[in-house]
Amino acid sequence: MAGTAIAELNADGLRRDARIERLKLFGLSSPALLLVLVILVLPVGWLFYLSFVGADGGFSLENYARMIEQKSYERIFTTTFEVSLLTTGLAILIGYPFAYFLSQLPGRLANLFMIAVLLPFWTSLLVRTYAWLVLLQREGLINKSAMAFGLWDEPVRMVHDMTGTLVGMVHIMLPFLILPVYGAMKSIDVDLVKAAANLGASPTRAFWTVFCPLTLPGLFAGALMVFILCLGFFVTPAVLGGGKVIMVSMKIVSNIQLFVNWGAASALGVVLLALTVAILWIASRFLNLTQIAGSGH
Amino acid sequence: MIKTTAWTLVAVALFSSTAMAQQKALTVASWGGSYQAAQSKALFEPAAKNLGIALKQETYGGMSDVRLQVNSGKVTFDIVASGSGSAARAGDEGLLEPLDYSVIDVSHFYPNMTSKYCVGGDVFSNVFAWNTAKYGTNEPRSWADFWDVKTFPGTRAYRGGSVAGALEPALMADGVPPDKVYEVLDSKEGIQRAIDKIRQLKPHIRVFWTSGAQHAQLMKDGEVDMTTGWSGRFDNARADGAKVAYSFNQALLDYDCFAIPKGAPHKAEAMRFLAEISKPEYQDDLPKYITYGPTNKLAYETGVITKEVAAGLPSSPDNAARQLSLSLAWYSKWETYATEKYQEMQTE
Amino acid sequence: MTARQTEALPIRVSHVTKTYGSVHALDDVSLDVVSGEFLTLLGPSGSGKTTLLMVLAGFTRPDRGSLKFGDREVIRTPPHLRDVGMTFQNYALFPHMTVAGNVAYPLRLRNVPKAEITERVERALETVQLGGYGSRRIGQLSGGQRQRVALARSIVFEPRILLMDEPLSALDKKLRDQMQIELRHLHDKLGMTTVYVTHDQREALTMSDRIAVVNHGRIMQLATPRELYDRPANRFVADFIGDSTFLPVRRSGRGVAFGDMALTINGPVPEADNLLLMIRPERVTLVRDGQSVAPESNQFAATVREVVYQGDSYLLQSELVDGTLLTMRGAVRGANLSAMPTIGDRVTLNLAPDDAAVIDGSGC
Repeated sequence: MAGTAIAELNADGLRRDARIERLKLFGLSSPALLLVLVILVLPVGWLFYLSFVGADGGFSLENYARMIEQKSYERIFTTTFEVSLLTTGLAILIGYPFAYFLSQLPGRLANLFMIAVLLPFWTSLLVRTYAWLVLLQREGLINKSAMAFGLWDEPVRMVHDMTGTLVGMVHIMLPFLILPVYGAMKSIDVDLVKAAANLGASPTRAFWTVFCPLTLPGLFAGALMVFILCLGFFVTPAVLGGGKVIMVSMKIVSNIQLFVNWGAASALGVVLLALTVAILWIASRFLNLTQIAGSGH
Repeated sequence: MIKTTAWTLVAVALFSSTAMAQQKALTVASWGGSYQAAQSKALFEPAAKNLGIALKQETYGGMSDVRLQVNSGKVTFDIVASGSGSAARAGDEGLLEPLDYSVIDVSHFYPNMTSKYCVGGDVFSNVFAWNTAKYGTNEPRSWADFWDVKTFPGTRAYRGGSVAGALEPALMADGVPPDKVYEVLDSKEGIQRAIDKIRQLKPHIRVFWTSGAQHAQLMKDGEVDMTTGWSGRFDNARADGAKVAYSFNQALLDYDCFAIPKGAPHKAEAMRFLAEISKPEYQDDLPKYITYGPTNKLAYETGVITKEVAAGLPSSPDNAARQLSLSLAWYSKWETYATEKYQEMQTE
Repeated sequence: MTARQTEALPIRVSHVTKTYGSVHALDDVSLDVVSGEFLTLLGPSGSGKTTLLMVLAGFTRPDRGSLKFGDREVIRTPPHLRDVGMTFQNYALFPHMTVAGNVAYPLRLRNVPKAEITERVERALETVQLGGYGSRRIGQLSGGQRQRVALARSIVFEPRILLMDEPLSALDKKLRDQMQIELRHLHDKLGMTTVYVTHDQREALTMSDRIAVVNHGRIMQLATPRELYDRPANRFVADFIGDSTFLPVRRSGRGVAFGDMALTINGPVPEADNLLLMIRPERVTLVRDGQSVAPESNQFAATVREVVYQGDSYLLQSELVDGTLLTMRGAVRGANLSAMPTIGDRVTLNLAPDDAAVIDGSGC
């Protein structure tokens, strides 16, 4: 039939159209691919290369060997994980109830509180960190007012140690936890909680058996983000840690500033990167990673 | 050692004042701020005028900028101001021209205030400072007192991260006479002894500071009762109302210096310029603008520096005699090793 | 579940009022639901039917009024202590639990022993024809299956009252028709007092023992489907249920008249100033030439303006003498399409006295 012939002719044309469309699509995405190559692949590759360059300029594993030989590196990694875990834990303890409170507020009030949550994003990290120093130090605002009101007689030590570091870091990290958790909470169908109540669950029971489990993906996403951001933190522990809370990033900086030792710094960077990727990989087995970047469901 | 971040305004002011200079002008880079302003008035401008050369001043971020220029082959700086330690390292790295001491006369300099690549420009001290409100007349007089938390109860701050100026006080506190400090430190055991001594004080060390601004602020805020630090910073803090005093007893005499980057466009002129600003008649003006002392002893004999001013300067003969000069040779040999050990102690 | 009939409870709603600002969501509503009855709250959106259901479930706190389940006053009882089953419009299944987990949920809350839970869950699932689906995840189910799981969950703990909020509105028409029958059968089997909310009058007519037509927060009429359809209390009810043509009529002696034409009706004439004759399309017949009709029948002369073929029937719109368009539905029998009138034909329409209902035209 003539109709068949025409159909086959068109098939060729349509195939060509599809091919051209694919090429165009590739052409459109090539700037993005190039960007990824330039800002991600090349630097990381360079970092990787540098970490295997020894002091004499040749290939060497000395930068990695040093990490095993020197006890301080083990302690620095331990501190880094300790700070990150504690910060994440505290951020959950404070951020989750706050997000819940926020999710129960009527729209306008919730917006107001949300601005308060986001405000830290718009102020300099350094300023916020120093503000904590002003508040927490021996003759800082908190100690002075507490002693003036007779709450305690001797200044309480709150900064230049782990406590101060955690306070500063939790404050900075809270929005990263609250936002995904709040998103997860807002996306929960209110009828689900009603259904639970109707089926006989007290408000507490309904919260723990229905509401809370449904916020877990958001909570997990937020906690993971906080934890990973903490791993690479520099400013806050440097300022509030009193030089005794030493994290990996601080060691990297000192390797470069003091010794101009790119190899050692790169090796630390590679190990930190590898640990981060490993954590993300393990996490990805428990949740869909795109959820972290995107919305709750 | 004035590591204040570049004050753009000052830089602009300095820059515009020399904007008339031709392309062939000698380019001098320093740290900006009140430090460079002082250098400019006491050293750079008079020397350029007397030598009849055009001068262009810039502020820069330290030896990392020099490294960038040298490695890229486009060197624009003729002279850079630097800390003595970082200049020594940059010299070892091959970033600096060796200085010609047949041109630059350093015969009347304090000992250890010049090196192959860098000639001293001003002197500062690494001292111990204390809160005057806390201790009153019960003033600490030595590093041993700094370590003595029974007689001088209270919190301490100490050098963190870098080992620069950190180990010498520990040995003096441990009973090593100042003139034997570098002898004892010249071995792994000696370094270990110093670090052990600091470990002993560590429970009382509230903060390991990493910048001059930080240790000045710690004293201003009353966060610690005693700290180590750079003399000039405490002068500034006291001028701002901080209850802080310091002593030159057993302090470490250190200096800032001038160097010529490798491949500087006007190397010969730069050398002549360095010779000029090393003369006492320029150096004696520096204390008018900043509380740092001259490196050239003769600057104290021109009559420009009064007795009162001299009493507060790190390098005045009286003060210098009570101090130990920092040994760049020791740092060249041991700094990397000692820093690793020192940082290890810090992470404990 | 199937083993014993759940003991049903009557519901008594008395003078319940709920206002939102100046809007009366419920305006002094009183309603008795007989034990074991299937009662439907029917009304347009915003009529207050859902608010009333939420008051029954305990999710909406009224301003005043009384609510009794049996002898128990429950108006201040929180939802989780009311012990009523409920299905939600969007099913409200817990996405983080399996089908069995959802159905077992109310039983776990009641501390039923594990073995018994398993057994009762499976029985409930069988009741809704989902036997063996227990381990499925909610996301794997179709809309109809979700509806059944929601139903199983709401009956598994044997509540004596079941509330259903537009449970079928999200399903496609075929499935909806099928589920209507199934729900009715299930109700007959389990026997619990059921309050069902819908805006779909056909659904209401199909399933209910009685229907309460709700509008503006008030119950316009509470009656059996048959009564509602044939004897609507007012124009709103007549309009909302089924299609009708309304002819303005006036009282004339014991009967009523349309224009100067006296009508024969068998039903009562309401005591109202404003009377309407309600004509259901399928009750009107076309009088063919030479066809004899009962003498008491009401006959209207009309001109055909529109004919719409609809497969099983056809719709005829014809203009009466006063200009009113009267709609009639005629059956299509065999292939006798030529028997259908065409536009412009002059026809006679016949309405039997039994089918002529006069209603209060003022009600709305």
